[in-house]
Amino acid sequence: MRSLIVAAAALATGAFSPALAQDAYVVGITAALTGPPASTYAPAVDALRIYIDRVNAAGGINGKKVNLIIQDDSAEPSKAAANAKKLLTQDNVVLLLDASLSSTYAPVVAEAKGAGVPLVFASSVCPKEVYPPANEGQFCTTAFASTYDSRAALAFVKETAKEPVKIGFAAMAIPLSRGEMEFAAKQAPGLGMTALAIEVIPPPTADYTPFATKLKDAGANWVFSWAPWVTQVRTFEALRRLDWKGDYIAWSHLEAEGELKRIKDSRLYVVGANALFEDKLPIQKEIADAAQKAGGKYPPEQMTEGWIAGMVIEAALKGAGWPATPAKIQASMQNLKVDLKGLRGGPIEWTKDNHFRTKQYYRVYKWDGSKVALVKNWFSYDVK
Amino acid sequence: MQLAVNIVVLSAIYALIACGYVLIYRVSRVLNLAHGELMMLGAYLLLATAASFAGNPVAAIAAAVVLSLAVGILVYVFLMRKMTGEMVLAAVLTTVALGTLLRGLMVLIWSAQQQYPGQALGFANPAIALPGGGRISTFAAILVVTTALVYGGLFVFLRFGRWGVRMRAAGQNPLLAAQRGINLHAVYALAWGLSTLTGSMAGMLIALDSGLTSSMTVIGLKAFPAALVGGLDSLVGALVGALIIGAAEVLSIQYIDPLLSDVVPFLVLIAMLIVRPWGLFGTREELDRV
Repeated sequence: MRSLIVAAAALATGAFSPALAQDAYVVGITAALTGPPASTYAPAVDALRIYIDRVNAAGGINGKKVNLIIQDDSAEPSKAAANAKKLLTQDNVVLLLDASLSSTYAPVVAEAKGAGVPLVFASSVCPKEVYPPANEGQFCTTAFASTYDSRAALAFVKETAKEPVKIGFAAMAIPLSRGEMEFAAKQAPGLGMTALAIEVIPPPTADYTPFATKLKDAGANWVFSWAPWVTQVRTFEALRRLDWKGDYIAWSHLEAEGELKRIKDSRLYVVGANALFEDKLPIQKEIADAAQKAGGKYPPEQMTEGWIAGMVIEAALKGAGWPATPAKIQASMQNLKVDLKGLRGGPIEWTKDNHFRTKQYYRVYKWDGSKVALVKNWFSYDVK
Repeated sequence: MQLAVNIVVLSAIYALIACGYVLIYRVSRVLNLAHGELMMLGAYLLLATAASFAGNPVAAIAAAVVLSLAVGILVYVFLMRKMTGEMVLAAVLTTVALGTLLRGLMVLIWSAQQQYPGQALGFANPAIALPGGGRISTFAAILVVTTALVYGGLFVFLRFGRWGVRMRAAGQNPLLAAQRGINLHAVYALAWGLSTLTGSMAGMLIALDSGLTSSMTVIGLKAFPAALVGGLDSLVGALVGALIIGAAEVLSIQYIDPLLSDVVPFLVLIAMLIVRPWGLFGTREELDRV
């Protein structure tokens, strides 16, 4: 019990880190393990931890272990900044990861840039700096991508809708979510849709019904939400409680597959870049087995994002050789191609100018009455 | 009509949470800044009892309620009791530390994943159509009724109950109360127990209505302005404060800007602090003590 209390205090104060090993690749991550959006980020970090443990158990990379140091920032910019400073100056990480809200980016980027250490956004939304022409020190493995995601979602709505579309938008009150919904609202008229209100919902909210009421009153027959899952799903459920009969499309976060099964609503669509476990791919079985063996806290279908980050980090460190320096890792990441074995529609491919991927693939799923079903198979956009 | 329903539901949520702040402050002059965490703990306890009493939701809820009451009493016995006689600020800071510890513990035990106690208990949450075209979910309706019952029960208890009168006496003049033979530690423990119980009931009902995440603590904090606006030592004040804050929030969402909903409670609070710092139903004397 005493050790549990000590661990709880350590986690709550953001001091959760394994012992340092000198003769290892030291990688640090600041992540929203607690706080409002933690359910989107914590499973990815857990998956990354399991992946790295597996790599270490198999002998490490280039014969060296990877020491992954995890710091909780509760999705707060000030804590993320403190974490980044600590990881860079005390732990001397050669690679820094951010798995938290977009509001943490500015201070973390500033710290990483100042230290000359490459920064990977893993499970958190990709910032514009990773798209061509990319900032030399910033990279992103995350499935979701601003502007591309809205284009994909709206294209699907246009293709699916059988009547004129009046579309409302639901965002969380964080910069990227709001920005994305504003982008989507501007794109919608060009696709022949009537763009209605954007509801910007603070995290967290005791009752989502007032926001849903406004969307319903505006006359929306479609609603698009691109926000942390909690905002997306609670807005949807509040709309349904108001007897709203329209269609809802949301971003396919880690929780999406389990939530589609829970909600069982055939007019709730999720658009995303990761294959859901309903596909039963060999690598998905591998993830599920590893999660079970490691006693993972989260369902395997929530582990894809962290697993992909692990695959990419492994490839980057392998390419950098030993001894690794931040500069060598950055150079390795600027020429990287990782086969994701079906977890996405295509590989993660980074070049000097593109630290996102050259093609972004999407799929759309929904509940079909008996199971989670594919509604639209991979379709892609060139990233230029 | 829907607007009125939304105001009532949000106000009921804030009122049920806020009465916990008032109960402890009124009796011991301590601001319990771990109230949000204790509220969330109540919801997680329901999740735990739902698993333990699979197929028996009544037993699960009853067990969670009893456990919540026990947690509040234990917090006083093992932690806050040691703060007796110390500066109030020290006690308040202790509650901050308690909140931090509880947050970490809950993530370690139950993870940050979204949880659905209602699903675990086998409850559905259908919407109820109201006259006038409004709709309310079943658990939101239960929350409104529960809030009314809790406030009604507390008024009766504090006015006519033996222990209620003792609680009032201890709050008004602890020295005199002690000299009259009132066991202050028992009174304080009861206040902590009742406060945690009401907060936990709010947490359980919110979780049954819309799910449970580790962010629920922030909702507890959002109810704090309701207690302050009404007056920290007044249950009537907490009720009226919750109604004002709930209405301001819902109306700002509907007519001004949804983004303002996060700010409006604190704007109302600042306005109240300027005009009447002791709150609508609080007393000047309380302000001096703060």
